[in-house]
Amino acid sequence: MERDDMRTPLARAIGLGSAKDGVQHWWMQRVSAIALVPLTVWFIAAIIAQTGADYTAFVAWLRSPITDILMVLLLIALFYHAALGLQVVIEDYVHSGTRFAAVIMVRLACFAFAVVGILATLRIAAGP
Amino acid sequence: MCRPLDIIHKFSFRACSNVSIEIAQGKASMIIKSSSQVSRNRLFKRFPIPANFGVTKESKIGRGKSWPAPAGSTRTRTFEIYRYEPDSGRGPHLDTFEVDLDDCGPMVLDALIWIKNKVDPTLTFRRSCREGVCGSCAMNMDGTNWLACTRFITDMESPARIYPLANMRIIKDLVPDQTHVFAQYAAIEPWLQSRTPVPERERLQSIEERGQLDGYYECILCFCCTSGCPSHWWNGDRFLGPAVLLQAWRWLTDSRDEATEERLDKLEDPFRLYRCHTILNCTRTCPKGLNPGKAIAQIKKMMVERQS
Amino acid sequence: MASNSPGGRQRPLSPNMQLYRPQLTSVLSIVNRLTGILLSIAAIALVIWLAAGAAGPQTYAIVKAALASWTGQVILFAFTFAFFLHLLGGIRHLVWDTVHGFELRAIYMSGWTVVAASVVMTVVAWVASCCMGR
Repeated sequence: MERDDMRTPLARAIGLGSAKDGVQHWWMQRVSAIALVPLTVWFIAAIIAQTGADYTAFVAWLRSPITDILMVLLLIALFYHAALGLQVVIEDYVHSGTRFAAVIMVRLACFAFAVVGILATLRIAAGP
Repeated sequence: MCRPLDIIHKFSFRACSNVSIEIAQGKASMIIKSSSQVSRNRLFKRFPIPANFGVTKESKIGRGKSWPAPAGSTRTRTFEIYRYEPDSGRGPHLDTFEVDLDDCGPMVLDALIWIKNKVDPTLTFRRSCREGVCGSCAMNMDGTNWLACTRFITDMESPARIYPLANMRIIKDLVPDQTHVFAQYAAIEPWLQSRTPVPERERLQSIEERGQLDGYYECILCFCCTSGCPSHWWNGDRFLGPAVLLQAWRWLTDSRDEATEERLDKLEDPFRLYRCHTILNCTRTCPKGLNPGKAIAQIKKMMVERQS
Repeated sequence: MASNSPGGRQRPLSPNMQLYRPQLTSVLSIVNRLTGILLSIAAIALVIWLAAGAAGPQTYAIVKAALASWTGQVILFAFTFAFFLHLLGGIRHLVWDTVHGFELRAIYMSGWTVVAASVVMTVVAWVASCCMGR
């Protein structure tokens, strides 16, 4: 880019300097991953156990308080982990200014989907 | 070909004895014991993308010249070598050479020197020690980065493919422009920094503290690792890369250094350090058997430790 | 990456992905990333499934039929395989974050274990599912 044309190699390597921030993102990715290990294993086991279940059985399963809690926790951890991960993917491959818009969209979308999922779960659990 | 090391490994790893025997028999190696284990997988040698996929105009590799085999040679090996002559106005191309194995030494560097002496004196490459300690002859051979002077010709495929280090701007033939990676190295301030006044005699360091440097001070800055890191390919302008980060760790773990706080501040950046996703191509390719992946993991661990 | 070359011409860039040999290290890493992206899509599918359940039996029946269809089953199988690869690959990453298992031999052993275990667990999951369904 034009900003770099006559800069010294050292200036180019230093760039805009260190952001002095980044460990939080890395740490939360690991924390959400650790949370997801038991939650997803539970989910897969529960889904397998639910194979062939009809609507009433599905609702009964979600009405149980443990399923309720675990499902909400799963959705939170899942979409948080996904948002962090997708942000890293976008930063890796998109280098133009579009990356800011893309990261914002992904984060907001993950938040929205998480809310939809949680509300749906609570609706089923609380419903008639 | 069953080298002595293979026989020793065959009997020393009881847990993986079956696989070790398979390796000694030259079958597709699944378990790596050391970096010098050349990839023997015959199936998946390149990613399934075209040779000139997504490259800019000036980097497209064209067809080059085919040099004849020397008269009277019985054992020859074909070498396909990346060539680029900046003054020719042409783009890079692949030249094919037939090397007389009875007339040249056992290493790929010997073959390159033979070609330069006997066939084409314009072939250009860096070299110095010819024993794997200077790092000059680092290049990409059969798809992986290694030192030409420690890679046996018999470990190469036929034809042997010699390219410069991956993802580097090329000055000429096999000589990459390392200005940027060395600038990144300078950016981490690879020297001892202290605040306490200079001591009368030595700066004291216990044997254990000196042991912390083992596996990190031996880096010869050949940049095989950095050149093989996909994260550095896509973000090399901002990501420091495994070689530089290994040296950053070398200074972080040096007990005599007193600038740990500033060093960690300078490294804590989503690009400088955290573009590393533990791909581990670096550890796989290091010709000195060092472990940049582990060094970076230790830096990340230190980052977390100062937060909690 | 700009570099100061004479004559203002840009020096050629040596090939990277077009040339570099795929090794277990890089292949398993990109697989972890691809499965992660695939699972993000699976997460959206999960939310759609839950939302359909909340909307009522008719909507739920539509989604259930879509999942039970041939395409739906193939996609679910792909999601399951991707899930186990990402789960086991992720655990491998978590172990690395404790600075263990970085020796080349350990990297390769853990890598092949992840691949083998993922295949096994996917098969077990689907066999179990078929048994439950019956």
